[in-house]
This record gives sequence, C-alpha cells and structure tokens, in this order.
Amino acid sequence: MTTVQPKTFLKDSVAFPFCKGCGHHHYVHNLDRALSSLQLDPKKVCIVSDIGCIGILDSLFVSPHTFHTTHGRSTAFATGVELADGILNDSKLKTVVVIGDGGATIGLLHVVNAALMNVDVTVLVANNMLYGMTGGQHSGFSPLEFITPTTPEGNIVPPMDICAMIKSCGAEYVTSISATDKNLTNVIADAIAHPGFALVEIVELCTEFAIGNNKIDGKTIQAMAEQHNAATLPATFKRKEFCEEYKSKVLGHPSKIKNDALTQRYISSLHGTRRWVIAGTAGEKVQLSSYLLMRAGILCGLHATQKNDNPVTQGSGFSLSEVVLSSEEIYYTGIDVPDVVIISSAEGLKEVTANGTISRSNKQTVIIMEDSLPEITTSARIYRVPLRSMCTPQRATTSAVAAFIARELVIPIEAIVDSIQMHVGEKVSLYQDDIKKLLPLLS
Amino acid sequence: MSIQQIKIRTGNQMIAEGALHAGCQFFAGYPITPASGIYKSMIEELPRRNGVAISSPDEISALAYCVGASARGAKAMTATSGPGWSLMIETVQYALMTELPVVIAVVQRLGPSTGGATQGAQGDILLTEYCTSGAYTIPIFAPSTAEECFEVASLAMFWAEELRTPVIILSDKEIGMMSEDVNFSSLVSSPVNYRKQPVNNDTDGYKTYNFKSLADVPLFSPIGGEHKTTITGSAHDKGGSLQKNSPETIEVLRHLQKKITSRAEEMAFVKTDDDPNADILIISFGITARTAREAVKLARKQGMRVRLVNVISLFPIPEKLLKKAAKGVHTIFIAEENLTGQYRSVIQHLFAGTIVIGINSFGKMITPNDILGCITL
Ligand SMILES: Cc1ncc(C[n+]2csc(CCOP(=O)(O)OP(=O)(O)O)c2C)c(N)n1
Ligand code: SF4
Ligand SMILES: [Mg+2]
Repeated sequence: MTTVQPKTFLKDSVAFPFCKGCGHHHYVHNLDRALSSLQLDPKKVCIVSDIGCIGILDSLFVSPHTFHTTHGRSTAFATGVELADGILNDSKLKTVVVIGDGGATIGLLHVVNAALMNVDVTVLVANNMLYGMTGGQHSGFSPLEFITPTTPEGNIVPPMDICAMIKSCGAEYVTSISATDKNLTNVIADAIAHPGFALVEIVELCTEFAIGNNKIDGKTIQAMAEQHNAATLPATFKRKEFCEEYKSKVLGHPSKIKNDALTQRYISSLHGTRRWVIAGTAGEKVQLSSYLLMRAGILCGLHATQKNDNPVTQGSGFSLSEVVLSSEEIYYTGIDVPDVVIISSAEGLKEVTANGTISRSNKQTVIIMEDSLPEITTSARIYRVPLRSMCTPQRATTSAVAAFIARELVIPIEAIVDSIQMHVGEKVSLYQDDIKKLLPLLS
Repeated sequence: MSIQQIKIRTGNQMIAEGALHAGCQFFAGYPITPASGIYKSMIEELPRRNGVAISSPDEISALAYCVGASARGAKAMTATSGPGWSLMIETVQYALMTELPVVIAVVQRLGPSTGGATQGAQGDILLTEYCTSGAYTIPIFAPSTAEECFEVASLAMFWAEELRTPVIILSDKEIGMMSEDVNFSSLVSSPVNYRKQPVNNDTDGYKTYNFKSLADVPLFSPIGGEHKTTITGSAHDKGGSLQKNSPETIEVLRHLQKKITSRAEEMAFVKTDDDPNADILIISFGITARTAREAVKLARKQGMRVRLVNVISLFPIPEKLLKKAAKGVHTIFIAEENLTGQYRSVIQHLFAGTIVIGINSFGKMITPNDILGCITL
C-alpha cells in the first residue's frame, strides 16, 4: 500500500493554545517537521502526551494516533504500546512521548525503566523548568535560585540533569538542546529514527511564569542545554532494542506446563474429613510433606486443600502447613480442631502453640512430636518420637506423615509411598526405612 | 467424578489459567504477597504462548503498561493486592475514561497500609468498587474456589472486552495461595471474545468514542491500525477531542456508566444452595461463602431451613437475584471478613422490611461455628 506523505501532521489553521512566546510553539513545529522529514506513515506514528501545557499538543495533530495520558505516566503507557506493537504485532510503530519537566519529575521512574529496557520510545522532555499549567510552581528541573510561587526566596535544591541520569541507565541516544536551536528538527528526527530508547531534553522558556522574577534568556538556556549535553552521542549504538531482545531470548520456548494430572489408583476408607497440621522449621521440607500428603489423598480419590504459613522472611523461622482431606467437597478450609498434628522442631512447636492449634486440640487429636521438645499440656494423645535423629530433619515430617498413615491405614500406605516416590524417585527407600522404625513407636 | 483430570493448583494459578484460556496476550506484574503467584504463572507461561509477560518497576507502571498494550490491541491483565491497588487507582480511572479493556486481579490481604501480607481479609470491596473520581460502576467478580478462579478470570476477560472497560477479579489470600484439587474436566469458561472493531473501509468516519445510544460500546481500533485514534483521559466528545461540559461530552460521560448498568442483568451471577422453604438467607462471597456452605450443611442437620447465596458478581450489584433470594425469609445474614460489613452496607437497602444482620470477622477467617452461632441465636 502506498501512502501519500503529508507535509505536515498538524491540523490546518488551528491556533496553538500556548501563551505568546511560550517555548512549546518551537517544540510543536520542530516535532512536526521532524515527523514529516522522516516520511513516516502517520498511521504508524503514535504521540503519547503527558499532562501540563505541553500535554495538550495532542489536539493540534490531525493524522498520527494520539494518546493523551496522565501526569508523568506517559512513558509507561508508551512502553506498553511499544511492547504490544514490537512483540505482538511487529508493525514498527514509532512512539513519541511528549512530556514536561513536571511530568518527568513525578514520572521519572517510567523514563528510567524505558531507558534501562531500551524500548523503542522517544521521550521529548519540554523542560521549561517549572509547572506551567498549574501556575508556575518549581519542579525537579528548576535551577538554583530560581524564583517561582513555591520558591519565593529562590530555589535551594539543585536541578536534575536528566541527560546524565538517563545516560547512566544505558540509554544510547540522549541529548539536550535549546528550543530555539536551528538544529532541533534534525535532532528530534534522529532521536525518533533511532531504533531504541532516545531522550531529548528541549530547554525552553515559560514566558508566563519564568521571566520577570528571574534573569533568564536565550543565552542562559543555550548554556544549560550545552552543559547537560556534555557527553556527545556514541559513534555506534550497541544495544539491541528491547522487543527484539525479548523475541530472541524470551518468546516461544516450549511450554513448561507438565502434565501433572493425577489418576485415582487407590481406595481410601475415609468417610468425612481429616484435618492435619504439620509444623517445623523453614528449609526442612515441612510444606513439601504436606504437599505429598495432599497428593496421596488425591491418589485415593479424596478432595484436599493445603495452606502454608511462614514468617515474612520466607527462609527462616517456622514453617507450617494445614492439610484438609475429605471424602466430600471441602467447603471450610480452616482447622478448628485438628485430627493430626506433627511437630518436628522447636520453631514449629512455638508456632502451633502461638496460633492456638495446641489449645484447640482435643481427645480426638493425635500429636506426633519430636521427643526432645518440652512437654505440652493438652487432652490430645501424644506420641513423642525421635523424629530428627531417626529420620534426619529433612525427612522428619514426611516420614511422620507416612508412618501415621501406615499405622492408621485409612489411606493405604502405598498411596503415600507412591506420592513420595513421584518426588524423590529411588530415595523413597529411605522413607520406607523411616516408616519401619517409627511404626512401633506410634502404637 | 472423573479423576483423570485432577490437578493440584492454587487459586492464583487458576486465575492465570483462566486468563490464558480467555486469550490474554499481555501481562505486566510487580511482586506482592498474596498475588505474586499470578505474576509468576504468567511470566512462566505467557511468553511460551507468544504473549508478553513483563516485569514493571512499580504498580503504576504495571497497569499503565497494560493499558498502553490494550490501546495497541492486546488483551491485557495485571495482578496486585491492596497496597499495589492503591497505586493503580489513577490509572484504572484513566482506563475507564478511555474505554480501554483491562483486567486487574486484586488478591486481598489484611490492611490498612501494608498490613498483614500473609493474612487473609475481605476488606477491599469498597476500595476497589468506589475508586473512581466521578463514581462509576466497575464490574467486580469474586471467586470462592480455585475452580471458580478459572471461571471468574475468563468471565472478567469476557466483560472487559465486551464493555471496553476495566474489570476486577476480587480474590483473597486464602483462595489465592491455598492449593486444592481442581477437576480440569469440569472447568467452566465464558466464550473467548475480542472487542468489536469497525469494518476497515470506513476509515474517514471513524471516531474513537462513537456510539448511537448511550449503552452502545464504541467500536475499537488500535493505535497503529487503519483508523486514526484519538485517545484521551480528559473529558471529551465522541471524537476524543478535549471539551469542557459540552452536551456531547456530558453524553459521553453518561454513556460510560450506561454501557455497564444496561448489561447488569447479564453480568449478574450468584450461586445458590437452595432450600425452597427457607426462612433464613445467608449471603456471602469469596472464601467466606465456602465457609458459609459448611455452616449451612450443619444447620440443615439441625433441621434449620436455610438458603445460601454466594455472590460472584459483586458489582454491578445483582439486585434482582438478591431480592428474589430474599423472598420468604424473615432474616438475612451477610457474612464477610471485614469489620464494617462493606458489602452489607451497599446491599441491605434491597431488603427493606426484613431483618439484616452482619457476620463479620477481622484478622482471622470466619468459621462455620461463628455463622452457626449467629443464625441459631
Ligand atoms: C496526579 C496529578 N497531580 C497533579 C496534577 C496537576 N498538574 C497538572 S499539569 C501539572 C504540571 C505540569 O508541568 P509540566 O509537566 O512541566 O508541563 P508544563 O505545564 O510546564 O508544560 C500538574 C502538577 C495532575 N494533573 N495530576
Ligand atoms: S503557562 Fe507557560 S508553559 Fe504554559 S502555555 Fe503559558 S508560557 Fe507556555
Ligand atoms: Mg514545565
């Protein structure tokens, strides 16, 4: 399909909404000339604008897609557009972010992240050193001593050099230029043409709020742009654009979803519900033992739920699991009175004491606990066994689960052995030995 | 029961499965307990199905990436919990205003603030529904089992596309992080759909937000497509031009609400455990609905006549279904895991003349005995 390249992307004879002399006039004209000079199909151009005086330029454009977004977030929306375009559609859309210094202040992280990713977005920061639309308040880009309604004594915080900052994020096309520089069209065009992240800081004047109280003119602005542009663009660009990188490294690997569907192989004599609490120390396979128990139940056609708990830091302190097995659909997933409690360590004991598991246990409850732990008071039936020394701390809870199943025979022992074997393979024999040793201690 | 298709899954994993089944193409995430499981599942699986699953530097970016991708035509989703949700709110409002479909799974935990990361709660009902400046209805669906997570994810994707609007899946820590047996042979899903698009030859007449009747959903054309799109979060006319309070702009704003409320009855979805002669009604949702089901089982053993309604479509409020369920009962109990009875506060006006009592808990799950204790008093 051939498209006629328009001379301008702007609407005919529409008045710009900016104050007289506002630097945004230069910004819009140069952006338009840059787009035309690149001979882009307007349907393959998206202007993502931010909030502020600069943000309303979207209404001036007639042919490209326009996306007028929220304060500071334009670069994030643009990143989303580009990701969907470059990876899902391969259509080589050119996405240009139009953002002020205010937007770049509140939304800095979005610019940083787009630069880190090297996504093909061009960010054109209209830096007039203040929040124009809201009445000229200072921004993170206001120079020292700058007088604004919110810095009546002069700004005492130095301005951000966004070029230096974004260069440090690995961005390859970063430059600063005055809005009145005659090279501006070319610079914007180069930035847009660059097949990766690009940022141009366009230093401007807000005629409404910046002048009057401040000694600022074309020369100061030129100097500021040059200072921010101290490092020149590299001779060659080395980084791969993010979508290309994603397509080559992340996309399209074969699915990892394994067929883990379970088939009923055993029959359980359980009618009703069994509620288990298993407690021990993080890193000692407590939650795994619960999973293996749950799977054994499912292998017998039972319904099962499993909930895990641990302190906020996941690798230390206690580890606790609750498993409900039932011959019927499980509605209530909590455990008021546990049927079986297994405690393999002091951390585990502390937790089941603190969370009320022990106090809620009653005569029907069986507690199997490591024999070196202190005495507990409960009406539950307690078996104190040397879980840690007999089975090793790593196998303690799983072997206790399996031994209790072997003793009770409500779930056939083969089901839990099968479930363990599915996880550890040949090493299941170690667990079978544990069961043999534990079984006499549970009668 | 066909045992062949039983898999052990968490609710979070099933939300991911449901979204993938519904054709989700884009996911952006940021870690937060108890929602991280959805993020992890999508990162693992979506790129393998040639979709994009991306990590963002914060929740504002996560949702903005999704909305940007949606504007480019992708079916998009993100997931978070209360603290991340509060960062997303401005962007949800934006998606609503710009009529860009997106699904957000909010997996509730104990608040306020960062609260209890590993403790369950149902305290974000009003925070999610009433988050918009301007008071618009956001469809919210709440699952109560891992299987329903699949069903609800596909439902949420369906309505987001159908209505061109953000839709929320309101899950909670218990449902999200608990593993259970899921029968894959009996999973329920909605039709796989895509937002309606204009026929391509009419490029000149295209307006980004065009509609005839207020309830119509504008035809969608993506950024980068054949039609010039003019997307804006500012008050706008049908063509997307910024306008202050012109009659057409006010019409567009009213349409944003009307397109949703006019479909309320189609979205209405409750699951009823019925007793036709019930004199007591229990209303609940999410994790507490399944606890209530246990309580109802026990109550019936004691000879009580109880009906249970598990509300899946929390918003728009399924008014007709709730009123119908209340017929013939003398007392209604509304069970939810928050202190102030958030859902009760917005539905009890439906039941004038009937006693309405809240069953509430905070920081711990409601138990069947809690419910039984209340309804037998
Ligand atoms: C979240 C949010 N906070 C505050 C505002 C108010 N606001 C509108 S424009 C603006 C400043 C814009 O400044 P800048 O980006 O530099 O653009 P300029 O007006 O100078 O062109 C602010 C703070 C807003 N729209 N959204
Ligand atoms: S207030 Fe300042 S930035 Fe805004 S249009 Fe006027 S001169 Fe330009
Ligand atoms: Mg500014």
